[in-house]
Amino acid sequence: MIDVTLITERLLLRLPTAQDWPAYRDFYASDATRFTGGPYTPKQAWSLFAADRGHWDLKGFGWFMLDDGSGAVGACGLHHPPHQAEIEIGWNTFPAAQGKGYATEAATAALDWGWTIIDAPGIVSYIDRNNVASKAVARKLGASWTGEMAAHDPDCEIWAHERPA
Amino acid sequence: MTSLLLTTERLILRKPDARDTEAAIAFMTSERARHVGGPLDERQAWRAHAKMVGHWVLRGFGLFSVVDKATDRTVGISGAYYPIDWPEKELGWHIWDPACEGKGIAYEAALAARRWAYEDLGWTTAVSYIAPENDRSIALAKRLGATLDEDADRPGHSPCLVYRHPAPEALS
Repeated sequence: MIDVTLITERLLLRLPTAQDWPAYRDFYASDATRFTGGPYTPKQAWSLFAADRGHWDLKGFGWFMLDDGSGAVGACGLHHPPHQAEIEIGWNTFPAAQGKGYATEAATAALDWGWTIIDAPGIVSYIDRNNVASKAVARKLGASWTGEMAAHDPDCEIWAHERPA
Repeated sequence: MTSLLLTTERLILRKPDARDTEAAIAFMTSERARHVGGPLDERQAWRAHAKMVGHWVLRGFGLFSVVDKATDRTVGISGAYYPIDWPEKELGWHIWDPACEGKGIAYEAALAARRWAYEDLGWTTAVSYIAPENDRSIALAKRLGATLDEDADRPGHSPCLVYRHPAPEALS
């Protein structure tokens, strides 16, 4: 079974476990998920949580939980369900841990790792047109809007990350 | 856990993985999935399959892929299922391949999965939640010795029937 751990200055990026469920559930029940289809009932959130975890075994990559020593404070990683045209890097930070730069720190590490395991020429981020905070993270990562919207979601802009030379 | 494998006369039961994705999506997007929450669109079907895979990690048990030894094809799933909204642990099964119906394949797989749940997981009871119009599944539950439990809680507001399996001591 696949296992990956990434370490940044302040965060541990590790695969989700059953212990992360309460934090995950609470986040997905909150309005903070309004740009990604939420809020979700616990039943819906558990399906997402289990599917996020299953993604690792099906694809060899997936979403990490971010742990700052106090437990799960967010999630970040690469995913590629078949309805999405390209491999995506995504991130979220749970409300209590926002404003610390965790998303940028985690996504930088996840992206560095992504380029080493994925052959694709590019990795994208699909970001809701109104999700200002997420676009700011994308900019810090060096991504830029392609000017196009996602085929699977007309409200989502396609932001492209360039493979480092 | 990683090498967990159950074998029966005709079948291998193993943890689901990427080899099963195509067949899982074909089933969940088909009319055959009408008794188990489908048919789903492809996006939902992929997520449902990923959920089955992730269930193993989160719960430590799950539904096996049922592989026909003769053809090496995954013909369905059978095993232990306990998502967050289930009142109690379930023994579940879906037969994906219609060509495998009427041959006792689902029965053979469910027997092995139930023995595993009782002997290896230590379950003391088990139910199967079955849509009232799913005649084939009801017949299988009865063949397994399960009986209707009118008092048991159901998942959510589902109108399903609850079949309770004989306890481990009743089978030994």
